[in-house]
Amino acid sequence: MSTPSIVLRDVSKFYGEVLGVNRVNLEIPAGLTGLVGPNGSGKSTLMHLLTGLLRPSRGEISILGVAPDRPEELFRLVGYCTQYDSFPHGVTGISFLRYALALQGMGAEEADQRAWEVLEKVGLAEAANRRIAGYSKGMRQRIKLAHAYCHQPQVLVLDEPLNGLDPMGRAEMIDLFAELAAEGRHVIVSSHILHEVDVISDRVVMIHGGSVVAEGEIRAVRSEITSHPIQVLIRCDRPHAVASRLFELSHVVEVRIVDDGLGLLARTRDAGAFFRELNAIVIETGVDVETVAPADESVHAVYDYLIGESAGGGAS
Amino acid sequence: MSPARAIAAGAWRNQIKTLAWNELRRSLFSRRSLPLYLLVAMPLVLMALRAVFLPEAARVDPSKATVEFAEVFLFFLLRFIVFFANAVIFVRLFRGEILERSLHYTLLAPVPREVLVLGKYLGGVLSAVLLLVPTICASYFLTYLPHGAPGLQLMVSSSGLGILARYILIVVLASCAYGGLFILAGLYFKNPMVPAILFLGWETLTPFLPAFLKSLSFVHYLVSFAPVPVSLGAFALLARPVAWWLALLALLGSTAVLLFLAGRVAARLEVTYSAD
Repeated sequence: MSTPSIVLRDVSKFYGEVLGVNRVNLEIPAGLTGLVGPNGSGKSTLMHLLTGLLRPSRGEISILGVAPDRPEELFRLVGYCTQYDSFPHGVTGISFLRYALALQGMGAEEADQRAWEVLEKVGLAEAANRRIAGYSKGMRQRIKLAHAYCHQPQVLVLDEPLNGLDPMGRAEMIDLFAELAAEGRHVIVSSHILHEVDVISDRVVMIHGGSVVAEGEIRAVRSEITSHPIQVLIRCDRPHAVASRLFELSHVVEVRIVDDGLGLLARTRDAGAFFRELNAIVIETGVDVETVAPADESVHAVYDYLIGESAGGGAS
Repeated sequence: MSPARAIAAGAWRNQIKTLAWNELRRSLFSRRSLPLYLLVAMPLVLMALRAVFLPEAARVDPSKATVEFAEVFLFFLLRFIVFFANAVIFVRLFRGEILERSLHYTLLAPVPREVLVLGKYLGGVLSAVLLLVPTICASYFLTYLPHGAPGLQLMVSSSGLGILARYILIVVLASCAYGGLFILAGLYFKNPMVPAILFLGWETLTPFLPAFLKSLSFVHYLVSFAPVPVSLGAFALLARPVAWWLALLALLGSTAVLLFLAGRVAARLEVTYSAD
C-alpha cells in the first residue's frame, strides 16, 4: 500500500477577478518540503487552501485522503502555523495551548501536561504564564509553532515559520522540522528567503505569480531546467587539461579555473551529456579528480533561473 | 446510534462545552466586557435614582410599582438594554475574532463549523442570561424598594415572584432569539451594528404595524409572556394576542432557522482578514 500524501488537482483560487493560485497540480509526499516564491507569489493562498481557510474556486484537494472542508477530520491530521501575527485578546501562552488541546478533545489534565511539554520543546516554558501580547516577535513565532504542533499532527503546514527568530532559534526550529520529517510526517515550510528552504528542505515547490513553476528534489528541479546552463565544480590536480577538452564540447558554454588553481567551474546546457563525456575525458587525460558536484544546486540559483530578474527583488 | 456516531457526538458535546465556556470568559470576564457592564448599569442607576427621588405620595400604593415596572420593562429594558446587550455579545462572537484577526485559530480546530456556531451561540446565551437576569431582578427590587415593607412583601409574595419569573422567561427567550439573529449578522455583515439598529427600529415600530407585519418581529411574540398588560398608546394598532405556545414555537423556530443559516454561512467562511 502506498503512503498517503497531499494531493492538489487542478486547483485555482480567484479573489473576484484577482488570481490567487492558478491550476496547481501537486503531490507532496512525507518529509520536508519547501514552498518557495517571492512575496505575493501565492504561497500563503496555497497554504490556506490546504487547510480549508480558503476554498478553491476550482479543483480538488486531498490531505492524506481527507478533504479540507471536513475540519473535524482534517485538524486531527493537520497543524497550521499561519503568517498572521495576531492572537486572541488577553491569552497567556499556556491558556492558548490548553484551549487548542481542549478543542482537540483532550481532558483538562492531559491538555495541561501536553501544553507544558510543547512549551518546553519550543523554549517558552518560562514565559508560559505571561500574556502573549507581551511576547517578543520571536516568542510569538514560537507560540504559533507550538499551537500548530501541540496535537502532534501528521501534517504540519508552516508559513514563514522562521520569521523573527534569532540565529539560534532558527537553528533549533530547523532541527525540530528535520526531526518531525524524520518521524515520517509531512512538513511543508514556506519562505521567501531561499537559503532557508535550501538548508531545510528535501524537496522544493517553486511558485511564482500563482503558478507552480517547478517541483521535485532540488537537484532534480535543477536538471529540469535545460534552457539554462548548469554550473559544475570539478576539483582535480590538472584543471587546465580538463578545461581544454571541455571547450571542445558543444553544450559547454563557459569554463573557468577556480581561484586556488585546484579545480574548474564549467557551465553546460546538457547536464546528462556533460557527466557522461566528463568521465571519458578524465579517463583519457588521467587527471586525479577529487570531487565533481553541481556548484549551484541551491534553490536560489534555480529560482533565479526559473523566474528571472523580475522576481529577484522579492528574494533575499 | 453507531459507535462512530456516538464517539463523534461525545466529542462535539465536549467541544461545545469548551467553546461556550471560552465565549463566556471573553464576554463577561475580559477588559472588553466594560461596555456591557456600563450598559446594564444604566437601568440600575435610573431605578436607584427613582427610589431616592420618588415623591412620598407615590410611595403609598405598592401595586403601582407593578405597573410601573411593566412599562419600564417593555419600553426600556427589553427594547433597549436586552436588545443592545445581546447585539454586543452575539455580534462579537465571530466579527470580534475577525477584527482581532484571531478567527483562524478557532477555525483550525477539529470542529465542524456548524458545531462551532452552536458552541459560540450557547456561550453567548449563557453570557446574556448571566448578565441580564440579575439586572432584571435588581431593577425589579429597586422598583418596589421605595414602597417600604409593604412593597417588599408584595414583591416576594407568590404573585410578585410569579411576575418576576415571567420577566426572566422573556429575557431568556429574547436572548435566544436575538442571539440567533445577531450571530448570523456578525457572520454575514462587515458592520453588523447597522442592520442591528435597523432591526431595533422595526421592533420599536411593531405596535403601530398591522397584524401581518407584527408577526415579523420578536417583540410581538415576547410580549405574549408579559405578566402585566401595558397600554401601547393611542396610535397603536391592536391585534389579537398570540397564544403562549404559539409564541414559544415562533421564537424557538425562528432561532433554529437563524442558527441553521449561521451554520451554512460559517461552513463557507474564508479567512481573508485584509478584505474585512
